[in-house]
Amino acid sequence: MALSGMRGLSVFISDIRNCPNKEQERLRVDKELGHIRTRFKNEKGLTPYEKKKYVWKMLYIYMLGYDVDFGHMEAVSLISAPKYPEKQVGYIVTSSLLNENHDFLRLAINTVRNDIIGRNETFQCLALTLVGNIGGREFAESLAPDVQKLLLSSSCRPLVRKKAALCLLRLFRKNPDVVNVDGWSDRMAQLLDERDLGVLTSSMSLFVALVSKDYDSYWSCLPKCVKVLERLARNQDIPQEYTYYGIPSPWLQVKTMRALQYFPTVEDPNTRRSLFEVLQRVLMGTDVVKNVNKNNASHAVLFEALALVMHLDAEKEMMSQCVALLGKFIAVREPNIRYLGLENMTRMLMVTDVQDIIKRHQAQIITSLKDPDISIRRRALDLLYGMCDVSNAKDIVEELLQYLATADFAMREELSLKAAILAEKFAPDLSWYVDVILQLIDKAGDFVSDDIWFRVVQFVTNNEDLQPYAALKAREYLDKPAIHETMVKVSAYLLGEYSHLLARRPGCSPKEIFSMIHDKLPTVSTPTIPILLSTYAKILMHSQPPDPELQNQIWAVFSKYESCIDVEIQQRAAEYIALSRKGAALVDILAEMPKFPERKSSLIKKAEDTEADTAEQSAIKLRAQQQTSNALTVTDQPIGNGVPPEAQLGPVKMPSMSNEGHSTADQVLTRSNGSATNLQASTPSPDLLGDLLSPLAIEGPPAPASVESERNPVSGTPTAADALALAPIGGQTNTIQPIGNIAERFQALCLKDSGVLYEDPYVQIGIKAEWRSHQGRLVIFLGNKNTAPLVSVQALILAPSHLKLELSEVPQTIPPRAQVQCPLEVVNLRPSRDVAVLEFSYKFGTDMVNVKLRLPAVLNKFLQPIPVSAEEFFPQWRSLSGPPLKLQEVVRGVKPMLLMEMANLLNSFRLMVCPGLDPNTNNLVASTTYYSESTRAMLCLVRIETDPADRTQLRMTVASGDPALTYELKEFIKEQLISIPLASHAPQPLPQQAPPSNPPIAQSDPGAMLAALL
Amino acid sequence: MPVSASAIYFLNLRGDVLINRLYRDDVGGNMVDAFRLHIMQTKELGSCPVRQIGGCSFLYMRISNVYIVIVVSTNANVASAFKFVVEAVALFKSYFGGAFDEDAIRNNFVLIYELLDEIMDFGYPQNLSPEMLKLYITQQGVRSPFSSKPKEKIVPNATLQVTGAVGWRREGLVYKKNEVFLDIVESVNLLMSSKGSVLSCDVTGKILMKCFLSGMPDLKLGLNDKIGLEKESQLKSRPAKSGKTIELDDVTFHQCVNLTRFNTEKTVSFVPPDGEFELMKYRITEGVNLPFRVLPTIKELGQARVEVNVKVKSAFGAKMFALGVVIKIPVPKQTAKTSFQVTSGRVKYNAAINCLVWKIRKFPGQTEPTLSAEVELISTISEKKSWTRPPIQMEFQVPMFTASGLRVRFLKVWEKSGYNTVEWVRYITKAGSYEIRC
Repeated sequence: MALSGMRGLSVFISDIRNCPNKEQERLRVDKELGHIRTRFKNEKGLTPYEKKKYVWKMLYIYMLGYDVDFGHMEAVSLISAPKYPEKQVGYIVTSSLLNENHDFLRLAINTVRNDIIGRNETFQCLALTLVGNIGGREFAESLAPDVQKLLLSSSCRPLVRKKAALCLLRLFRKNPDVVNVDGWSDRMAQLLDERDLGVLTSSMSLFVALVSKDYDSYWSCLPKCVKVLERLARNQDIPQEYTYYGIPSPWLQVKTMRALQYFPTVEDPNTRRSLFEVLQRVLMGTDVVKNVNKNNASHAVLFEALALVMHLDAEKEMMSQCVALLGKFIAVREPNIRYLGLENMTRMLMVTDVQDIIKRHQAQIITSLKDPDISIRRRALDLLYGMCDVSNAKDIVEELLQYLATADFAMREELSLKAAILAEKFAPDLSWYVDVILQLIDKAGDFVSDDIWFRVVQFVTNNEDLQPYAALKAREYLDKPAIHETMVKVSAYLLGEYSHLLARRPGCSPKEIFSMIHDKLPTVSTPTIPILLSTYAKILMHSQPPDPELQNQIWAVFSKYESCIDVEIQQRAAEYIALSRKGAALVDILAEMPKFPERKSSLIKKAEDTEADTAEQSAIKLRAQQQTSNALTVTDQPIGNGVPPEAQLGPVKMPSMSNEGHSTADQVLTRSNGSATNLQASTPSPDLLGDLLSPLAIEGPPAPASVESERNPVSGTPTAADALALAPIGGQTNTIQPIGNIAERFQALCLKDSGVLYEDPYVQIGIKAEWRSHQGRLVIFLGNKNTAPLVSVQALILAPSHLKLELSEVPQTIPPRAQVQCPLEVVNLRPSRDVAVLEFSYKFGTDMVNVKLRLPAVLNKFLQPIPVSAEEFFPQWRSLSGPPLKLQEVVRGVKPMLLMEMANLLNSFRLMVCPGLDPNTNNLVASTTYYSESTRAMLCLVRIETDPADRTQLRMTVASGDPALTYELKEFIKEQLISIPLASHAPQPLPQQAPPSNPPIAQSDPGAMLAALL
Repeated sequence: MPVSASAIYFLNLRGDVLINRLYRDDVGGNMVDAFRLHIMQTKELGSCPVRQIGGCSFLYMRISNVYIVIVVSTNANVASAFKFVVEAVALFKSYFGGAFDEDAIRNNFVLIYELLDEIMDFGYPQNLSPEMLKLYITQQGVRSPFSSKPKEKIVPNATLQVTGAVGWRREGLVYKKNEVFLDIVESVNLLMSSKGSVLSCDVTGKILMKCFLSGMPDLKLGLNDKIGLEKESQLKSRPAKSGKTIELDDVTFHQCVNLTRFNTEKTVSFVPPDGEFELMKYRITEGVNLPFRVLPTIKELGQARVEVNVKVKSAFGAKMFALGVVIKIPVPKQTAKTSFQVTSGRVKYNAAINCLVWKIRKFPGQTEPTLSAEVELISTISEKKSWTRPPIQMEFQVPMFTASGLRVRFLKVWEKSGYNTVEWVRYITKAGSYEIRC
């Protein structure tokens, strides 16, 4: 060893080792560092021997964790020493003390290069190791060609070429743009013919990196890879030292198979055949043995082979073989193997046709659900969930329910959700479904989300056959002494709606039902009480002929809650008591809930969302596409009347009613349902409420309006209790509808400076705008289209914080056929995407109209396109480095469009596209100037990189001198790219970032909604 | 609130437990592992003497090469705990008759266990006075041959002693030669700016006594402090003598001092314990006579050179001299070469503490030796952080000098038998943290 000669070094090391504590060690190290400093500073210079010794000491100190911030010069200079021991220490110390960003490395590049192109192969190896370890950009730029040459040279020994391959791999990974790999397919093919396994393994690593970036150029290498596999797995033609526990170089096998997975398919039939032969051999030849190392190696190969088989869509026979093999795995005692078996089986579900084979192992998988190891239990649950279909749903769900009682708390929520979804998806009959969910609530009430029981209610409401059964079941559960609150909710709801169907059975008289439910009242929390109150009202309604005793009891409850502190409860109690005094009219008002329209279950949607999160291989999703959910369709009940297709209803927000007028008889606010007026609705109400509520507005029978509002505008966010609202009195649907789509008009105005903002039969609002740097002047034209005057005209501006808006006065009345101009001054204070809203109301005859309109004073209005040349662009681009000044984001779900279209779009947003700046023709570079009071004129640069293969996604980089501006501009462009093509019904929700002050008119546009419904 | 220690551990520097005693079972036996892992093996060791880990507080102190750790699980009185440790160490020292270190502990396991049982009960500190404990803990420490000869026979009625009126002194002591030694030891803490203005300065002093007196003597001490002098001048109804009067802050007395008499008559009178004890402690913040002034000029010349000139002036009388003066002048971390010239003493560069260490064995009063040094630095790749310029530190001892100016005016001994006594008085001033910014 090179150290043997250096006494000073070994003395130092033994000193350090003899230190009794850290403190003394530090003292000793500091002393030594002082000594080394003195020696390095010595004018007389150092002998090579001394230099070597001190540099070794420095390395040792550095390894102990102390800072060494000097002496790099000496280390680097040792690299150029002629003798091996000195060169070695130079290389080692340089690669451990310096990183790629150090300036000192520049000094070394030339020496390193000389060593690489030199003849001495030990020096070559040292140099390659250094380059591979540091791998900086400068090294890549100046040395990559030499390393490539070395890799291909035939005169070098395998040792050197091996290192060269790995060194190149590292350079390529770090700076793929610097290492030139054009035309490497031939060379790669040549390398894959290599006989020496060491070189081959390293080259294969390089190959994997290359194909992962671009597989298209390497088709010629594919047969070679198969040959390599053949050589290893079939012919076993390798030297002894490359077998590991009898397995021929498992690493190379795994790498080769990984490389093959980057190619979309194997087309050549011969190659394919021989590949499958190899895979067959791997599958056949693997078994579980005693030796852990051998197992690890052979299983690594096996699982990679499985992945390849799945990737290649092999024949069914082979698939079944795989499953059989995995079946063997999950029966093994060793938990690691069982885990892998289960996991891979879940992955296998992606492939069609193997489910039946997997089902054979169902019993075994269910056993795994009871495994002591939670990760195995989770995998088993995933697998069961994935493999469930109509044929085995009953077994699996029952198994899950049983397991629920004993499962870990951490798993219960997931478990109950999955059980509910499976029950819904694959229910053989609906009474079974109701049974399952009620059991689920009974067993794991805390873990059952509201969606689950909402869904049950939907089912029962839509299936008349089911109603008596469900009511009976609910009654049975209520009989139990201690039940979960969710169970109280669902039972109370069901009994309220359907208990009259049971009336003839013993113990089911309204009175008994009432007392049964009323027993639970003291135990429940505030959100449940409204549900119970509704139930009481319904029971009261159903008890015909009226039972005065029951009536008195219920009235007592209502009057007690009339003074409840909770507004929701108080209001309900007050309303119900008023309603119940109406006598016969009560029956009409409290009619049975109408049927729900069919739509995609929010549960399934939720499950899909969570899956997308976990990046779980989407077996279930795939299958969901193949087999349409038979939920709801198993019933042959006609569903709803004239139910619109689900796509249009899906995102409809819950209309919330303004009920200020409910006490006044004249019903000024007949537009209460118009959700265009509705700010509350913009808080995204859970879709489940959409499920339960949206039809109410349409199907409720017209009724006296004085009692209409069971929903409370004060509470703002809709509560779960709303789900139970009585069949409402939706009021007249509004007579005044806007002409044209407000959202589209707004979008158009974002691009243009003048146009129509809003129009209905009575009024037309036009806009004309002028913009100058950060200021603007908008003129709003209010035109009365009628022969009668418009009165009570009001225009209010709700300005976001970043805009200063001054609206001149608006006259109270607009004379017939006249147009009024209202100038509006706009000053932009700082960048923001928030939009100003114009709240416009007028009265025409008896109709009060109130609309909220977004004003097109949006971000892009304060942009000024500016052309930028390459000389200006690049320094700017570079100087704005990294977040928050420069932000990058991959945008998915973009409306596909051609590059030209996108360029036009950007230009229309006053972002000037500068062609020719980016060498890649698929990219767009745009520049503009943004004006606001806080930023003044600010240059903004945008770069959009598109993928010609997938037009729905792109990468966007936005840079400017202001972090807020960068963020806002990025979000703005993103919104525009995603949402431009607003369909006429505009079901697509606006991006979530839309500010709350910005009512999503597009989706709640009453006109559009009604047009779709009626 | 007393200490209520749950356990006490003695660890060596590696963190091995030398000896321990659990007083309560509310902490686990492995708490010391937590201490080792979270305190000893981190850089925070020494930065804060109280640390909380997992609901327990660790109060620790390093004495030579031993860590003494008190573990408490309640909200304990920390000051009392540290006082306990200090007193316990003094007690051990008096038993071992010498140093307290790892070896001493290893040699005296049985004795220490016996003492630990005695000085703390259920976590509450008990009598820690060596005189008392020696009455009934008769275990002898292993003494080095040079320590004083073993004590004569022990008086049997220990209980009486402990509970008696003069609990700290045995009756029936007889000395052939009655002697009293009194030392005033002061340490000066100073922080001075580079321009020579005093930023903060105080003196902490203590009066140590050693009594070898027969019988039950009554002693009376007179100092030139303000209270005492004023009282005296009142009593004798004549103006105070000219000369400085010293104002003492924060005076604390040994328990033997009769406080009622101090409160009424403003005299320090006491029946001393036998042997060595600390009579009183005090602090002075004003009117401090600084023994040394340091005038440094340190110039950084470019990146690679530093020029250091330090002049030290002694401000005490020309006949006196300071001993063991050490001046530590900090230099940058990347110092490579040093060269220096001094008018007296010796200089060395110590890389371990990044200082030039200037030692002067004997430093006469009213002199001003100088040091001029040139330091060459090595270039580094780390970012050019400017040097933080830590302060110059100084150590010294000046005999027969008090920084406060405190003097003993009289020390009277009165005993029934009326024997003659010999009183010896010494003064010494040491450096506490004596720092000069540069």
